[in-house]
Amino acid sequence: FSFSGSRIDSDGKPAKFQPPPKPVIIDKQKQREERRFLSPEFIPPRGRTDPLKFYIERKDMIQRRKVFNIPEFYVGSVLAVTTADPYASEKSNRFVGICIQRGGKGLGATFVLRNVIEDQGVEICYELYSPRIQAIEVLKLEKRLDDNLMYLRDALPEYSTFDMNMKPVSRLDSEEIPVNKLQVRMKPKPWSKRWERPKYNIKGIKFELPEKKMKEAQKWSQPWLEFDMLREYDTSKIEEKIWKEVSEALQK
Amino acid sequence: MMPIWTKSGKKHAVTLLKVQDCHVLRYISKEESGGKTSKLLVGGKNASPFSKSESAMEIFKEAGVPRKQKVTTFNVTDDAIIKPGTPLYAAHFRPGQFVDVTAKTIGKGFQGVMKRWGFKGQPATHGQTKTHRRPGAISTNKAAKVYRGKKMPGKMGNIYRTSFGLKVWRINTKHDIIYVNGSVPGHTNCLVKVKDSKLPTYKDCNKNPPFPTFFADGDEKLPEDLYDEEIFQFTDPSVTYA
Repeated sequence: FSFSGSRIDSDGKPAKFQPPPKPVIIDKQKQREERRFLSPEFIPPRGRTDPLKFYIERKDMIQRRKVFNIPEFYVGSVLAVTTADPYASEKSNRFVGICIQRGGKGLGATFVLRNVIEDQGVEICYELYSPRIQAIEVLKLEKRLDDNLMYLRDALPEYSTFDMNMKPVSRLDSEEIPVNKLQVRMKPKPWSKRWERPKYNIKGIKFELPEKKMKEAQKWSQPWLEFDMLREYDTSKIEEKIWKEVSEALQK
Repeated sequence: MMPIWTKSGKKHAVTLLKVQDCHVLRYISKEESGGKTSKLLVGGKNASPFSKSESAMEIFKEAGVPRKQKVTTFNVTDDAIIKPGTPLYAAHFRPGQFVDVTAKTIGKGFQGVMKRWGFKGQPATHGQTKTHRRPGAISTNKAAKVYRGKKMPGKMGNIYRTSFGLKVWRINTKHDIIYVNGSVPGHTNCLVKVKDSKLPTYKDCNKNPPFPTFFADGDEKLPEDLYDEEIFQFTDPSVTYA
C-alpha cells in the first residue's frame, strides 16, 4: 500500500499526474438495436421481374406476420411446428425437428425439418406462410457451420434425433446467436452426395477418409469462382431498405 | 407467379398481370369491318412516339392518347361500345370470373425436331452412325411425296398462344393487378391480351360484371383489394379443421 500523495519517480522528481483511464461503458441497449434479423425470404432474387411484384408480395407477407408470429430461426435450430391436419384425431399435428434447409423467396418460402422417429429418418418441408400452420416454436436457437445440413442424411442417426417432448432452451435476448461448431461423424460411404467435394463447401463434417481421397476430391475445385464478378450479388443496400420497410410496418 | 391459399388449405399458383395505361383507341362498326360484330381497338402500355411514322400515329392522335406499344381488337356487341379515349382498369374484371389469356410464347429460335415436336430420336450407342437427334423417315414409299405440314425442324416459339378458362382470384384496384390462376404464355413482363372466357362451361359465370366497363370517375368506390370468396385472406387467423 503506497501513499499516492507523495509519489516520487525513480529520477527523484515528483511524478506527473496521470489521469485515471476512461471507463469503458458497454451499452447493452445499443448492442440489442444493432442486431437485426431479416428473414432471407424477404430479399428478392436477382432477375428481370418488376419490383412492384416484390413490394406487393412483401405487403402480403407482413400482413401474415402481423396475425401469426413467425420467429427468428436459422438452419441448425430445433423447431416444433403444429399444423392443421384434417385426418388426425385431434385435427392438428405437432412435429419437432432440426431445420436443415431454408429455401424459396417471397410467399413460397419453405423450411425442411428433420428428425429420426423410431429409427426412421423423417423430413417434412413446411411452407412458412401456409395458413395450415398453427404455431411455430423455436426450441433451440443456434446456427451451424453450414447453410445447408442435407449431409445429416448420411451422418450417424444420433445427430438427427431430437426428443418430441423437448423443452425449449431458455436464452437471453441480448446474447449473440451461438454457433455450434459440431463436426458430425458420417456413416460409411456410399453417401447420397459426395460431400467431400469442394462445391458443397461443408465445414461441419469430420471426414475420416484417407488423405488420397481428400486430395482427389480437390480435383473438382473451381478456384476461379470466387473471382467471378458476374456472380456477385450485393444485397446490403436492398436489405437496408427492406429492413426499414418491414420493421416499420410490423411496429404499427 | 405467386402461391395463393384457399380457405380449405389448398395451394394454387397464380400469375400477376398488370393493366398498364390501357385506353380504347377506335370503334369500328360492323359494316366497316365486314365481320359479324363491331370491333373496338384497344391499346396497351405507353411507348415513345418518335420511332413511328406520322400515319401510324394518327390513330393515337384521334383518340387523344400517347402512343401505345401494343394494339389489339376485341369483338364487341353493340350494347358494349365504349367511347374512344376512355381508360380501362383492372376493375373491369371481378374475382370469380373466368378469363382467356393470349400472348406471344417465348422464342426458342431454330430448334431441332426433338425439342420442337417431341420426337424420340435414336439411341446414343449400339452402332448409330451420326444419328442421335434426327427425325428418321419422313414419309412412306407409296405416298411418293412428303405431306404438307410434316413436322420438321424450324423456328420455335414467338407465336401467339392462348390459355383458356383461367380463374380470376383477386384484383388490386390501386396498382391495377389481376391475379389469374395457373400459368400464362410469354416471358416475364411481356404484353398480354385478357378476354372473357369463350369456353361453354364458363358461359354463365359472370354475375353482374361492370358493364360496359369500370369507369374510375363514376360513383362506385371499390376497396383496394377484391378477393374471391374461397381465398384465404392473410388478415384471418390460421385455418383449422373442425
